[in-house]
Amino acid sequence: MKPILELKNISKNFPGIKALDQVSFSIIPGEVHMLLGENGAGKSTLMKILCGAYQADAGELYYQGEQIEIHSPSDAKKFGIAVIFQEFSLVPYLNIAQNIFLGREFSGWIPGTIDHSKMHAEARRLLDSLSVEYDTHTLVHTLGVAQQQMVEIAKALSQNAKILVMDEPTAALSDRETTLLFEMIHKLKAQGVAIVYISHRMAEVFSMGDRISVLRDGQYVGSADPQKTTPDELVQMMVGRTVDMVYQKNFVSKPGAIALRVENLCSSNGIRDIHLEVRCGEIVGLAGLVGSGRTEVARAIFGADPVTSGRVEVFGNDRVGEPFHSVELGLSLIPENRKSEGLALIRTVEENIVLAGLKKLFPSNWIRLSRSEQVANDLITRLRIATPSGKRPALVLSGGNQQKIVIGKWLSTESKIFIFDEPTRGIDVGSKSEIFSLIYKLVQDGAAVLLISSELSEIVRVCDRVYVMREGTISGELSGDLINEANVLKLGMADV
Amino acid sequence: MPIFPNLKNSDELSALFYRLFVVIFICIGLSFLSEAFLTVNNLLNVLRQASLLFLMASGLTLVILTAGIDLSVGANVGMSACLAGTVLLATGSTTLGFLTGICCGALIGLANGLLVTLLRLPSFIATYGMLWILHGITYYFMAGATINGFSKSFRMIGSGYWFGIPVPIYMMLFFLISGSIFLRYTIFGQQIYALGANPVTARLSGVPVTRRLLLVYILSGITAGLASLVFLARLNSAEGDIGEALTLPAIAAVLIGGTSLFGGVGTMLGTLIGALILTLVLNGMNILSIDGNLQALVTGVIIIVSVLLDLILRRKSVV
Amino acid sequence: MSNIHILSKNLGYRNYFQRIPGVAMMLMVGIFFFGILSKDFLSVSNLTNIGLQSSILLLISLPMTLVIMTEGIDMSIGALLTFCGVVMAYTLSVTHSLPIAICLAMCSGLLVGLINGSIIVYWKLPPFVVTLGTLGICQSLALVVTDGQSITDVGEIVQLAYNGKVGGVAIPLIFSVIAYFITYFLLYQTRFGIYVCAIGGNRESLNLAGVSTNFYHLAVYAFSGLMAGVASILLTARMSAGHPTAAIGMEFDAIAAVVVGGTSFEKGNGWLLGTLLGVLTVGVLRNGLNLLGVPSSVQVASIGLLVLVALLIDSMKMKS
Repeated sequence: MKPILELKNISKNFPGIKALDQVSFSIIPGEVHMLLGENGAGKSTLMKILCGAYQADAGELYYQGEQIEIHSPSDAKKFGIAVIFQEFSLVPYLNIAQNIFLGREFSGWIPGTIDHSKMHAEARRLLDSLSVEYDTHTLVHTLGVAQQQMVEIAKALSQNAKILVMDEPTAALSDRETTLLFEMIHKLKAQGVAIVYISHRMAEVFSMGDRISVLRDGQYVGSADPQKTTPDELVQMMVGRTVDMVYQKNFVSKPGAIALRVENLCSSNGIRDIHLEVRCGEIVGLAGLVGSGRTEVARAIFGADPVTSGRVEVFGNDRVGEPFHSVELGLSLIPENRKSEGLALIRTVEENIVLAGLKKLFPSNWIRLSRSEQVANDLITRLRIATPSGKRPALVLSGGNQQKIVIGKWLSTESKIFIFDEPTRGIDVGSKSEIFSLIYKLVQDGAAVLLISSELSEIVRVCDRVYVMREGTISGELSGDLINEANVLKLGMADV
Repeated sequence: MPIFPNLKNSDELSALFYRLFVVIFICIGLSFLSEAFLTVNNLLNVLRQASLLFLMASGLTLVILTAGIDLSVGANVGMSACLAGTVLLATGSTTLGFLTGICCGALIGLANGLLVTLLRLPSFIATYGMLWILHGITYYFMAGATINGFSKSFRMIGSGYWFGIPVPIYMMLFFLISGSIFLRYTIFGQQIYALGANPVTARLSGVPVTRRLLLVYILSGITAGLASLVFLARLNSAEGDIGEALTLPAIAAVLIGGTSLFGGVGTMLGTLIGALILTLVLNGMNILSIDGNLQALVTGVIIIVSVLLDLILRRKSVV
Repeated sequence: MSNIHILSKNLGYRNYFQRIPGVAMMLMVGIFFFGILSKDFLSVSNLTNIGLQSSILLLISLPMTLVIMTEGIDMSIGALLTFCGVVMAYTLSVTHSLPIAICLAMCSGLLVGLINGSIIVYWKLPPFVVTLGTLGICQSLALVVTDGQSITDVGEIVQLAYNGKVGGVAIPLIFSVIAYFITYFLLYQTRFGIYVCAIGGNRESLNLAGVSTNFYHLAVYAFSGLMAGVASILLTARMSAGHPTAAIGMEFDAIAAVVVGGTSFEKGNGWLLGTLLGVLTVGVLRNGLNLLGVPSSVQVASIGLLVLVALLIDSMKMKS
């Protein structure tokens, strides 16, 4: 069958990163095209280009054989492309029919009024064709996430979507709801709709997929026929790469006393039954796919999110309550979003660096400016933060330097346990290796490090032990020779 | 120099200088427009008014630094003044009167703080509701009566002079210095700035958010309480609607002074200059016999303009 | 947003109709309470009085519902109402022409509403600051135009707007009914209503749907201003004068009515009937306290407490 949409040699760059590198991809009507790849492989960038949120830097798009350009979401809609993101675009206090036809309401005989009965009838027809039973008058906020997803899909279809892109649609669904979704997908296939389906669950990749494509590091690695390939083969395609010299670790860790111990940790942010421990002098990795709950674990350990059960022990002391208690106990968190969670951008480098350590540096509550300056300048030099002075606002520094400020902030507290959440994301190679040198130095001096990273190569080369997370809980622990990319990936995916 | 270390770079320094320049410009302008301006009497009056305004605005500055607002300061002044006045007359003790005023202010501040931290109400709603409740209680309590006739020693703080300079001006200087020191030289001050600049980062950096928020609202209440005492002493009377018209000018003073509504930016000195500018403008309007009713209008316009300028500057620096 | 958040999200079913008992209950408790405490309360004339007095509040509370649904607020509406009343009275005293006066009053209201809306929508300043500023401006203007005094030379005809009847029905009641149904129509029968809900609920989705969101957002504030102008007709009629502090502070009653009625500052959740009930509740509270000889200042304090209680209940519901 001829493809309805083709992407040829699509490339997309972000500062310092090649998100997509000459990717070619075709979408055929009536087919479920599975898209696989580990974190950072380029899947979500591809999706965003398809729906018009990003524009490709190079390459062409062909719709039914003719070259087209997609500059905006409405362009994408014109071509019948609909993407179901994880964040739904539904208005909570409007009903299903109103949400489906938002912006395209049916006019009544008085201009400006709405023909409600027609809208509901159409919505009913749409839902029926998908075998969805909900009353169209239901307010969307009362629906569960799975049901909201159905409404999103109905909304996309009502705009005559010919191409539906779904990102892990079964993540929030129960078995029964998953079955319903799959039935709906079959119906859509029969209607000739093309479906691009991103998933990390091998079972559904094989059961629902007509074709499988694998991305790796922004490049298209190859396709596979679900009838003919095996999960292991797919994993190999997702993983194999050349060694990266950035993470050269030339010392042997000497784990000492237990610094951080977590038992039975559950939190309202969705994680369950987390057990882990980190010793002084070692780097422990926390791996897993995007959405598996790694950041949530870090936040729960630190106190940023409420703990519903279990305990967190820092050097034998129970950590309870708000983050300031964690800081007192010597625990640090370098968060994922350094700009919005790690720094106060309008404040100066110096002010940011001493922020967490204020109480430790000045126990009498009186600040001595000279000491504050000295500590800050010390750290600026030690971390090689590129700024002419500590009095410049943190805003103007580059990503790598901003990350160093965040690390510096915790160094000023003389913390001994560091939780790094994606420390090198979006940072140039030079700064990356500096940051890792720094982490190594900390560890060699006896600190305990918990490293969350989406880059398998980082995890595998840097960590002494790795816990792998999947769907909110820990699926396994790897140490020694068992630490390799394939094993980590397998533990991160379901049904491998 | 204890006051200036609040300024971390030349941008803030120049911002303050611009404002000082505005003050000078207005003074020069007014002295040309009317001979009544440059008299010792008038100038002392301006300073006295500005001191009172600054007193209120100093605590308010702390609240606005955390990206919050306290719409109840005027009502706080009103209620504290009435309560303190009543106690003064009843007991004849200046000390008790003082304590009443300050405690009343502090308790109101605490109530505001609890609404914001425990109930998680947005500060403008919590303090707005508080405003009306305080008004109601004050009116009821005063039952339309006016109390007056306070002791000379008490009246000193409002209308007295030490070495030829009105007492309120000393208070203003005291609060300027102590406020600046608090903001720059204590960890509380730095944490307050961080809280306003980025509350998420502040929390994740170990700032005890609830405690600091409660602190700023209580401090705002205390300065309102103190202001009420000065007010009481100056007017030598108190009645139900005292303080009603004070909130808007207090907010204006803080905003004109360069404190950002969105938090994290601002100085005590700036608020002082802001109070001066506003007082000068209103004083000028008085001298030039401009309709007194336009004062609220002018204040409102100044507030909108200040917020707009702040927004533009902020967008510029972020982009 | 990660999968984990989807998995853990509270799927509690919040029954929309749980809100009916809330404000209706408060209303009934109020009527019951005051009926017992004051023998005059339940008389026909008093109840009619409540209806009449509430009409002005209803006229400004209806658009306030829409404003709050868009997660905004209009603090200036009390001062604006006062100002429009002053404009109307002034025009009457000068031209003695009712149509011109009504026209000018409504135009003033509309103009200020447009100003509020433009600054809020296009300059993206926070609504409460902007309307706080406009509050000061309107208050000032009212004082300037009247020079602090009432304008009493408004003629005889205008009073009919408050005291007159058409077909046996009091005119303010007619105003109320018409206003209610116009707002009802706008909110539930037109795109405007849907978009108001969407602006508060998920503004992004409205943008993605290609709707000119700013236009509708602006319209909400314009509507608010316009209704203040309309309400000023009743206000001037009731007082037979234009007084510069007539409705100062009424925004508080309006906000209280809307919030007590179930509309919250959350995500486009609004209930028009609830606002009507809220207006009646506030009206009953004021009237009842009046009959009991409670001074106006305490009345205001009670309404304040009512608001805080309603907000408390609201925030508790949000958490559960």
